[in-house]
Amino acid sequence: MAKPLSLKQFVAEVKKGNISIVEHTEKILAEAEQSNQTYRYFNLIARDSALKQAKEIEAGIKTGRHKGKLLGVPISVKDCICVKGIESRAGSHILSGYTPLFSATAIEKAKAEGAITIGKTAQDEFGFGTFCNNVGIGFARPLNPRDRKRCCGGSSGGSAGFAALSKLTHTSIGQSTGGSIACPASFCGVVGLTPTYGLVSRYGLIDYANSLDKIGSLGKTVEDAALLLEVISGYDVNDSTSLSEEMDELGSVNPSNDLRVGIVKELFKGCDKPVQKECRKAIDKLEKEGATVEEISLPLNAKFGIAAYYLVSTAEASTNLAKFCGMRYGLHERLEGNFNEYFTKVRSKGFGEEAKRRILLGTFARMAGFRDAYYLKAMKVRTKLIKEFKQAFANIDVLLNPTMPIVAPTFREIEKLSPMQQYAMDLCTVPANLAGLPHASVPIGIHEKMPVGLMITADHLQERKMVQAALAVEGLR
Amino acid sequence: MSKEKDGVMIGLECHVQLNTETKLFCGCRTQAEEPNSACCPVCLGHPGSKPVLNAKALDYALKVAAALHCEINKEFFFSRKTYFYPDMSKNFQITQYEIPIGLEGQVVLSTGKKIRITRVHLEEDPAALVHEAGMAASNFCLVDYNRSGIPLVEIVTEPDLSSPQEARDFLDQLTTILSYLKVYSATTGTLKADCNVSVYGNSRVEVKNVTGKKGVEKALSFEVARQKNLLLNDKKIVRGTRAFDEKTMTTKATRTKETEDDYGYIVESDLTTIHFSKEEIKKMRENLPELHAAKAKRFIKDFSLDEYTANVLANNFTLGNLFEEIAKETEPKMAAKFLTRELMAVVNRSDLDLDSLQLNPEEISSLLRILSSQRITEKVAKEAIIAYLTKGTKPMQFIEKGGLAKDLTEADIEKAVEKVLSENRQAVADLKRGKQKSLNFLVGKVMKLTRAKVEPRIVQDLIYKKIKGG
Repeated sequence: MAKPLSLKQFVAEVKKGNISIVEHTEKILAEAEQSNQTYRYFNLIARDSALKQAKEIEAGIKTGRHKGKLLGVPISVKDCICVKGIESRAGSHILSGYTPLFSATAIEKAKAEGAITIGKTAQDEFGFGTFCNNVGIGFARPLNPRDRKRCCGGSSGGSAGFAALSKLTHTSIGQSTGGSIACPASFCGVVGLTPTYGLVSRYGLIDYANSLDKIGSLGKTVEDAALLLEVISGYDVNDSTSLSEEMDELGSVNPSNDLRVGIVKELFKGCDKPVQKECRKAIDKLEKEGATVEEISLPLNAKFGIAAYYLVSTAEASTNLAKFCGMRYGLHERLEGNFNEYFTKVRSKGFGEEAKRRILLGTFARMAGFRDAYYLKAMKVRTKLIKEFKQAFANIDVLLNPTMPIVAPTFREIEKLSPMQQYAMDLCTVPANLAGLPHASVPIGIHEKMPVGLMITADHLQERKMVQAALAVEGLR
Repeated sequence: MSKEKDGVMIGLECHVQLNTETKLFCGCRTQAEEPNSACCPVCLGHPGSKPVLNAKALDYALKVAAALHCEINKEFFFSRKTYFYPDMSKNFQITQYEIPIGLEGQVVLSTGKKIRITRVHLEEDPAALVHEAGMAASNFCLVDYNRSGIPLVEIVTEPDLSSPQEARDFLDQLTTILSYLKVYSATTGTLKADCNVSVYGNSRVEVKNVTGKKGVEKALSFEVARQKNLLLNDKKIVRGTRAFDEKTMTTKATRTKETEDDYGYIVESDLTTIHFSKEEIKKMRENLPELHAAKAKRFIKDFSLDEYTANVLANNFTLGNLFEEIAKETEPKMAAKFLTRELMAVVNRSDLDLDSLQLNPEEISSLLRILSSQRITEKVAKEAIIAYLTKGTKPMQFIEKGGLAKDLTEADIEKAVEKVLSENRQAVADLKRGKQKSLNFLVGKVMKLTRAKVEPRIVQDLIYKKIKGG
């Protein structure tokens, strides 16, 4: 089957009048609806609003009003990102019926460039998972497009799965806290880009952990994902942590073969041998193409990354989830009796098991008496881990390591893992996420017929270097 | 609190609403009549909404910290205080914990006693719970989110206050400072305090959430008496929290908790850390307006006022300003006396709000000028100021229209006196027998007849002259 047009090709054809946006939108909606019966990539397919938007844009093109870098491009959006007027649940039963009054800034920016939102993609409830199997009560877990017995990876599983499966031009807006873009990109064999913390506004993102959450992009190619990231980046007055940097032309960066590349020793060591082998092969090729390769050690990140990440993220998550109590939006029942008992009743019914686990863990980590030993210490460790990265970037452009230590596991394999073992799977993705560093996952090989992803990490705001390297890695295939 | 083994120890945690136009973390108005008419996804805690700090509120809180002589931190941030309650839109409050805006300040009471300030920080007000039929009778409760997100400055004192009266004095000083800074309005903003009380070094009791300066004084008076009474009867004071009932003027124990509150504070990472340089903080202090204590001193020095009058003028921001304007045009001591006695008497008697009256100093100056040139009597000046404050009639118009200038000839006055004496024979007889009251009565009659256009002293002399002569 022929590869779908890239975003740029698609937009060029649309402008020439060779593609009807309405027809293309119809096609991809049909594809989403049909595949959803089996694969469950969407929590909601926004047929009516997508078609309405498509018709408006098409009419606009005829009168010369619409230009846009994403003119008529269908985008899928992770469920935790608010889209005005479209039920947005972050994969949780407790947000059943919540229809945001406003769209996330990332959505507004994409829309301003002509993108069409086709639906909300499946995810682990609030992003709490590595395999997209921790879906909320009443939600279906998405299946890997290459093997339905396997998971998509999480938490942006629906985004990655549909990006891989779709035969049409499409890109997806995902979100990462500890690796939720890179992981499913790796497991499904697509490209996932996570920007520097603060580059893309979090306004309109249903929080998991505010100091870690980043909105990013997933697509079939580096160019597609980079173009979407270019569009959604930039300062936003509604998010106090948003940065003033723009990422102009990120979608038009050329590959670079003479980058200084660091191989992260410890993060290789923790991975399955075949995964290591596939990544080594790619790096060897990269070296032959002209990259300077050296081994880098990040001992602190390897040793303390996961612990620091789970303490900080669950502490923040436990406060973020406090607002869900059945009073103002989402799941609610008849408001009666003692408020404490009512809140408990709604929260017991609305949250899934992993959400409850993380609320408990996070609440414990910030309680008086434990706060110093856990939450505050983790915050201090985090500062040290960032410093370790900064030292590494003094002499190199990008760091490389496998994205995930394994290929996508089967659901039966996942069931055998304890929560701790599941958390340990985030070994490679957590450090860059904890440090807020931009990173990409690019498919580079196959093991057991399943894709293997290579993770490329750049220094803060060095998204261009990240994309240059990602394009070079992509070119090796 | 155990360092003082005798007497009363009181510490206050005051929450004052700042008078910014918009809320602390969103653009909603702080003043709105209709319930739930000034709220948005941010103050309703909708998923996806993010707080954005109101720069003005921060500026106000910094001014408060500087005016209370606090150390201002060069770097501070916000925290989440998490607890579940129906008035909390997010079930956490954005406040400050580890590093507040200001630490270790002081407020000087009218007696000169210094009260140490522990900390000053900025936080958001929760929504308001409304029990339509009163707390006890309501079987439901409404939530008004108009209040959710209004900026509060929290001012915590050390337990340096030793009586409810001192606590009241402290709050008077504090609100005066706040109104000098123009960060608080007593008409639109509320002041609430958690009051910690212990007597003779016994257990500390906290009376939560008392509204207003009068309320604090009354709650403390009751609580101090209650605790002393318990001790007199050899009973133990139980450490805990109590609520003040404004209707009965008593405090009642609220549900006692087995453990200390645990709010699980974490950093609010939706907001960034705020940084200031030493120079910026220095500048902030230099740019503070003159406060009441300094102003009173200046009044004493520049206008030779007595301490009491200077304090009365300076303690009221608007009154002090009014005085300064009027003092440019008239004799300052006379102006000070007129404002503190006559004008304030009207304000207090008619329960007026000086701020909202928006008096024109020119009008009062004109009045004082014709008074000092003896073209009107003091009595007429008083009536003119009453008319001005209560009806808005300009004093000069009041005098002109009423024909109240001193335009009577000596013959006119004599005629009036004679008329009164002839019509009040009994009073005259009484006065002759030495009944002083009758003199006042007769003077009053003449004043009425002449519409106060003559000085009572002259009338009095004339009456005596006539009686002795006749």
